[in-house]
Amino acid sequence: MAITSLPSADGKELTISIQGRFDFGAHQDFRDSYERVGTTPERYVIDLKGTTYLDSSALGMLLLLRDHAGGDSAEIKLINCSPDVRKILAISNFEQLFSIQ
Amino acid sequence: MSIVHVDATVLAALQDFMGEEYPVLLDTYLLDSEERLRMLREAQRDGDMQALRLTAHSFKGSCSNVGALHLAALCKELEEIGRRGQPDEAPTWIAQVEEEFARVKSLFQAERARFTG
Amino acid sequence: MADRLSILIAEDNAADRMLLSTIVNRQGHRALTASNGLEAVALFQAERPRLVLMDALMPVMDGFEAARRIKLLAGDALVPIIFLTSLSEDEALVRCLDAGGDDFLAKPYNRVILEAKIKAMDRLRRLQETVLHQRDLIARHNEHLLTEQRVAKAVFDKVAHSGCLSSPNIRYLQSPYALFNGDLLLAAFKPSGGMHVLLGDFTGHGLPAAIGAMPLAEVFYSMTAKGYAMADILREANAKLKRILPVGVFCCATLLNLSFQRRVLEVWNGGLPDGYLRRGEQGDLVPLVSRHLPLGVLEPTTFDDKYEVYPLETGDRVFLWSDGVLETCNVDGEAFGEERLRAVFRANQEPEKLFDEIQQAVVDFRGEAHDDISMLEVTLVEEESLNRPPQTFTDSGLMGALDWSASFEYRARTLKRFNPLPYLMQLLLDVQGLRAQAGALYTVFAELYSNALEHGVIGLDSSLKRDALGFARYYQARSERLAKLEDGYVRFHLEVQQAEDGSGRLAVRVEDSGPGFDVATALKAQPSNELLCGRGLRLISQLSSNCDWPEDGKGLRVEFVWPAQA
Repeated sequence: MAITSLPSADGKELTISIQGRFDFGAHQDFRDSYERVGTTPERYVIDLKGTTYLDSSALGMLLLLRDHAGGDSAEIKLINCSPDVRKILAISNFEQLFSIQ
Repeated sequence: MSIVHVDATVLAALQDFMGEEYPVLLDTYLLDSEERLRMLREAQRDGDMQALRLTAHSFKGSCSNVGALHLAALCKELEEIGRRGQPDEAPTWIAQVEEEFARVKSLFQAERARFTG
Repeated sequence: MADRLSILIAEDNAADRMLLSTIVNRQGHRALTASNGLEAVALFQAERPRLVLMDALMPVMDGFEAARRIKLLAGDALVPIIFLTSLSEDEALVRCLDAGGDDFLAKPYNRVILEAKIKAMDRLRRLQETVLHQRDLIARHNEHLLTEQRVAKAVFDKVAHSGCLSSPNIRYLQSPYALFNGDLLLAAFKPSGGMHVLLGDFTGHGLPAAIGAMPLAEVFYSMTAKGYAMADILREANAKLKRILPVGVFCCATLLNLSFQRRVLEVWNGGLPDGYLRRGEQGDLVPLVSRHLPLGVLEPTTFDDKYEVYPLETGDRVFLWSDGVLETCNVDGEAFGEERLRAVFRANQEPEKLFDEIQQAVVDFRGEAHDDISMLEVTLVEEESLNRPPQTFTDSGLMGALDWSASFEYRARTLKRFNPLPYLMQLLLDVQGLRAQAGALYTVFAELYSNALEHGVIGLDSSLKRDALGFARYYQARSERLAKLEDGYVRFHLEVQQAEDGSGRLAVRVEDSGPGFDVATALKAQPSNELLCGRGLRLISQLSSNCDWPEDGKGLRVEFVWPAQA
């Protein structure tokens, strides 16, 4: 599991990439990835290209990010979801809260 | 090659380290060694090679600690004889050990005499 | 300077013993001496020294045996044993280690090296001491935690198992510590007949996962007992969890509402894997799909309580599971998955064995039995076959009013959202004489209300419910028409009279804004229970003491009577 975050050049977008298992073990790293960046982004992109697994704790962490990013006004995209990851997001109906691509 | 009966540097170090107890250590060594010799003879008489080996081993250890290097070497030979189970070899070597011990004993007694005056 | 240690010296040679004890004493430790193994063991027992210098070859008992006995006596604590030896053969050194020796010191002794070895061994000893201390601490904490969990579970079991999970039409599988995996299983009889069943899965593990279970169970049981409808319970549960749980903690859940008499299943699934409704002789499988966010995520204003409605027949079965079943992995790390689950359904010959077959398939797949999955089967049975416990009341009912009447009129905006039945029931169950027939009272009121609302106010035709497709259309139309409702009313007139001897009667009159209908014809048109439509009127006349209607068909009159108290 490795989590990296990269702000865009203008600092308005933050891309967080998650490699490996996205579960409770990633809790602190995931928080750090958006709390410990100098910028205040307007948009977030969660890149799940290298994410092999995602559990309900991960869904909870996504909700925490959404809360951090302004709740209902948050702009968060989940990109590069594998079919398995997409299925888990679909069961929880997270497309109502996040833009899933 | 000269034979070292007692290593003087070992004795000096012991004297330095043991202080007042130094002569007591020498006395203890001599007393203990007489006992080992008696046990060696007994083991030979009984043809008990295991007892011979163990006694020689233990004797070897204490000799090395007080710098009686040649005696330690002779004990080691005797230990080997015991290990190999060669009772015929034993008497010659025991005689040598006794002879060497007599020498060591007189040297230690001289050393000891320095502290009784 | 290191702490003063007591050190046992076992050496048969007096001069060597003296030399060693002098070295040890000079280092500031306390030397204990023994001249053979047996003495050494006895001294160890008496004085418990921290470290042992042990000659290998000694009379009476050699160092190997003494070392073994001392290690045994020392138990978990590390008592380092340094073998004193001029043994040179490898085999002898191996014997020292086998006997529990930790290090060697060769003769002639070098006191600098001996000093260093004692220090090194003492460090090791302290390390072990720390490890043991921490181990004991962890064990104590763990014991403490388990005790707390036992208490929490005992309290929780009182709440969770106050329901009807033991009902013969329910089978379930749940770990005894499921609570601390976040899994929750609740079932309760509704006062109007039928039952509510909830399977929930909170995020996370341990106490954080268990903490939300209690309020959810409270909401579920208390609202079900008071006759609230599924949508009301869902809204309240969501609002409560949203209010008390931290962001990121939520509950994936499926709530079922089974009405045995009306032969209807209502399903709301937020975040749990597809459950299945297995229907009819053919065993058609209807997936019960998650269409909502889990409970505790959305604000009450955006929460969606919309549920799906399916007709049921006796013998139909509903299956639910948490993701543990689908995520069970085999040795290759492959997940059990939906396809394998569906294969079990396809291969099934006798529906009553399905539950066991699923369980067995999961065990076979995983290669061993385990108990960390939650699974549930509910079968539609005849209401009469269930042993419903009588309703319990917290007060005696003797203080209730004895002679009164009241009228209620619920108008369009109320009818859209509000369910008046729990309130009316609470009012009526204050009358002690009615309590004995509480179940019938609920059922009749539920039927009276839905009849007035659905056929009267919004004019639905119950003959639509003749088959499964029409059934779905009926409920679709119901929610559409309710949403658009602008005027209309349902009126309840209640009159309670009780005689001195305790006997009495409740008269109920229901009116609605609809055009009225020919009740007599409607009753005649219900030839059998096999039809999905209009069981309601027959139920009403069966369960009440008296039932009639005015000429114009606008409204019904129903009576309940109760006998004198013994």
